[in-house]
Amino acid sequence: MSQIMENPKGGCVLAGINAVLGAIDRVCPVYHSGPGCCMQTTAADQGQSGHKNSCFVSSVSIPSSNMLEKEVVFGGTDKLRSTIKGAIDIIDADAYFVLTGCTAGIIGDDIVSVTEEFTQEGYKVYPIETPGFAGDSNLGYEIIWNTLIDKVIKKDVQKDDRLVNIFGIVPYHDPFWSGTLEEIERILTQLGLRVNTFFTKHQGIKDIENCSAAALNIIINPWLFKGPAKRFEDKFGVKSIRVPGLFVGATDTTAFVRQVSDALDLDRELTESVIKKEEDYVYSYLAQAIGVVSWKRYAVVADASNAVGITRYLANDFSFTPVLVIISEPIFRPEDKKRIINEISRLEYARPPKVIFATDQYEINEAIRNEEEEITLLIGSSNEREVALEKDIQFILGAFPVNERLIFNRTYAGYRGSLTFTEDLYDNL
Amino acid sequence: MASKQYSGVRESHPGRVNDLGTTGREVKENYEKGCLKRADRTFAQGLQCQQINSMAALMSLEDSVFISHSPQGCVGCAIMAVDMYRVGQAHRGIKNIKNPRIIVTNIDQKSVVFGGENKLREAVKKAVDRYNPKIAFIYASCASGIIGDDIDAIAADLGYEYPDTLMVPIHCEGFKSKICASGFDAAFIAINKYILKKEKVPKEDDLVNLFAPTTVSYADQKEMERMLSLIGARVNYIPFYSSLDKIKKIPAAKASTSICKVFADEFMKTLWEDYGIPYSHTVMPIGIRNTDIWYRGIAKVLGKEAEVEEIIKKEHERIEPLVQKLRERLSGKRVFICGGTGRSFAAAALIDDFGMELVGLETPTYDEDAQVDIEYLNGIHKDFVVDIANMQPFEQVNLIKRLQPDAFIGVPEWAAKLGIPTTHVLDGKRPTMGYDGLLFLGNKIADQLQNPGFNKKLAEHVRLPYKDSWYEEDPFKYITR
Repeated sequence: MSQIMENPKGGCVLAGINAVLGAIDRVCPVYHSGPGCCMQTTAADQGQSGHKNSCFVSSVSIPSSNMLEKEVVFGGTDKLRSTIKGAIDIIDADAYFVLTGCTAGIIGDDIVSVTEEFTQEGYKVYPIETPGFAGDSNLGYEIIWNTLIDKVIKKDVQKDDRLVNIFGIVPYHDPFWSGTLEEIERILTQLGLRVNTFFTKHQGIKDIENCSAAALNIIINPWLFKGPAKRFEDKFGVKSIRVPGLFVGATDTTAFVRQVSDALDLDRELTESVIKKEEDYVYSYLAQAIGVVSWKRYAVVADASNAVGITRYLANDFSFTPVLVIISEPIFRPEDKKRIINEISRLEYARPPKVIFATDQYEINEAIRNEEEEITLLIGSSNEREVALEKDIQFILGAFPVNERLIFNRTYAGYRGSLTFTEDLYDNL
Repeated sequence: MASKQYSGVRESHPGRVNDLGTTGREVKENYEKGCLKRADRTFAQGLQCQQINSMAALMSLEDSVFISHSPQGCVGCAIMAVDMYRVGQAHRGIKNIKNPRIIVTNIDQKSVVFGGENKLREAVKKAVDRYNPKIAFIYASCASGIIGDDIDAIAADLGYEYPDTLMVPIHCEGFKSKICASGFDAAFIAINKYILKKEKVPKEDDLVNLFAPTTVSYADQKEMERMLSLIGARVNYIPFYSSLDKIKKIPAAKASTSICKVFADEFMKTLWEDYGIPYSHTVMPIGIRNTDIWYRGIAKVLGKEAEVEEIIKKEHERIEPLVQKLRERLSGKRVFICGGTGRSFAAAALIDDFGMELVGLETPTYDEDAQVDIEYLNGIHKDFVVDIANMQPFEQVNLIKRLQPDAFIGVPEWAAKLGIPTTHVLDGKRPTMGYDGLLFLGNKIADQLQNPGFNKKLAEHVRLPYKDSWYEEDPFKYITR
């Protein structure tokens, strides 16, 4: 199913799994793979996401069986066994996840039996039998959550009607993930909720084990996490709502707040008072810089969720003119494409932009080059800077991969993030 | 006389070992006695695979497309070379900065069962239709190797189909070598086989091949070119920011040298065997001593021994008073070094320029070249720990905690979390090499040692992932024979 791709954004399924594990506190991936997979998969997502890497173990710190010709020919389970043993002996992790590279996947090493030897001794070691060639980083995000649902999350946990789980924001595959999750938590806390982001504030394996206590799963993404959401509901009875795109700015963030409030039947008055306060905060700033940022006709190249958020903010809240939106991650299901197009087209006043699905860099560049309407602003990834320079248009680095800046807690999402985004739009040209 | 065809796998070199925990004195003796045996680790952390190096080496060639016959994940590390390529263009004053053209065939479950030939054919077709490149490099991967796709045969066939594009298959399957520098060799073997093809070209009397990996900054390139021009050489800078034309010029050169010890060393031998081009294979020109050795090496090949001594004398006069000032700041400081084969030994020699003391050295391989360096280091330093390891941060932090050096030179991530002042001699964006690079490096080291606040405070707030018990264990516990 994987497509031939020029300058692909992100890595293989292992990269997506590794990105998630790297964002959970004190868990250790163990690779049963060729010698370069730790470094390659870390570089594919963490290494292109504003230069922050998992602090616990990443890249060449990850235990690995480093399969060579000998293991390819004779099998590598002995090497895997001693690698897991060493990892348990020296790395102070709360859980270990054994990942399979292409090599182990093709030769068919039985990693489940090897890991069971350790689980029988009481160690938290979980196998994930999905070799790299099975798909991309996004699939990795779903695979690791399926594994967590099947093997890690506990069943009979006491329900907590104020606890919510956030899904759909892929750590490191979205450069703004930590700032975005922090903004979401900041907003929801004001509604009296407790938030499992799983990847900030040192949340770890315990938070995951107990997350079936939640009253609601909130998926912030137009298409990702469909399978795991169903699996989660079937096993633990936790319902999901889907927020069909990241919310940037007052309009969409307020819609998000109301959606959550309705789903949990929260206090109306409280909800509206939070909205009022937050919107006032945003507009108090916007009111101080009227006419400062010049009008633009814009194009966006990003993953679906960020493309929805950025396009809608600039059109609905900032009165810029949308021209072209390119969804640059693979989307396979027709109903997902429809939902994405719908979100981008359903604008308040602006004329809907053209929407294209293209993951291949040449196709992306060609779509921008051949656009008949004038474009004066391009929001994209480091890969799109080339075409922006070529067309001599303003360029905002706002989507994965991000190589030319360091990102800690910056976000464009929510109420406050939209102010950061608007600051970045200023060009003085 | 042509030696036996080199396979491209660096482990095939007699006497070269990868995994060992020892000391400077012990390793020298054991190597002499022929007692070093190839070992392994029962527990290890991830490595850099050779495919990363094969891609990085060539990614700045301007008229080429790079086709990775692999799943998408295998181009993850390409970002390092992509970034160098983009920054390198900025440093060279190019305004419209380009991306390299990387196409991944995205081997998937279907390819694993039925073979990936069609995907490779389609990827090459796309490359030709889009860019009409002069060269299409086709990189193998673990997956393509194990499923048995014959990239040589497919490339040969595609060569007939697209006669304007040279198809260059590169055998850099990750599982073939533990030493990532093998990937450099795989790239050069392919260049010789598919581009140069042992054809003789007219000689150019002042032309010198200067082989440089991606990690060499533009500032360093200019310094090397300046030094070589002083002895009358015109530089063919290969393969970084190079082109098919410049590659084709390789056999026209009068001599060859390399900036890195494990870059093009085997290729320069081949150039001598196949085209009669003499070469200098010495050290990395970092620090006074190594820069002198490197400079004299290539001058000798060019018959400019007298001239180079004049220049070295002048450079020393210019630089030594400045180095003396650095020596006053750095003398006696105890240093732990971790780096690639070229840089680790170069850094070890560099610290002697500043009067610093070596307490530990981590380097990926040991062989007769390393023996020469160790003999020199044994002559100036007390006994020091030697860890033959490609990174392996768990061993590194154990050693650092024991040795408590004043400074760490290498990838800073782990030593920094122990509160040790850190600095690096690998900087692909700023100066490192030659006489001028030395001052930049010296100032960097001295300043970072003087002001270690960041690392000290960091260490108070973050923990490395290892159990306390690990620091009590033998750091080489997992190395087996």
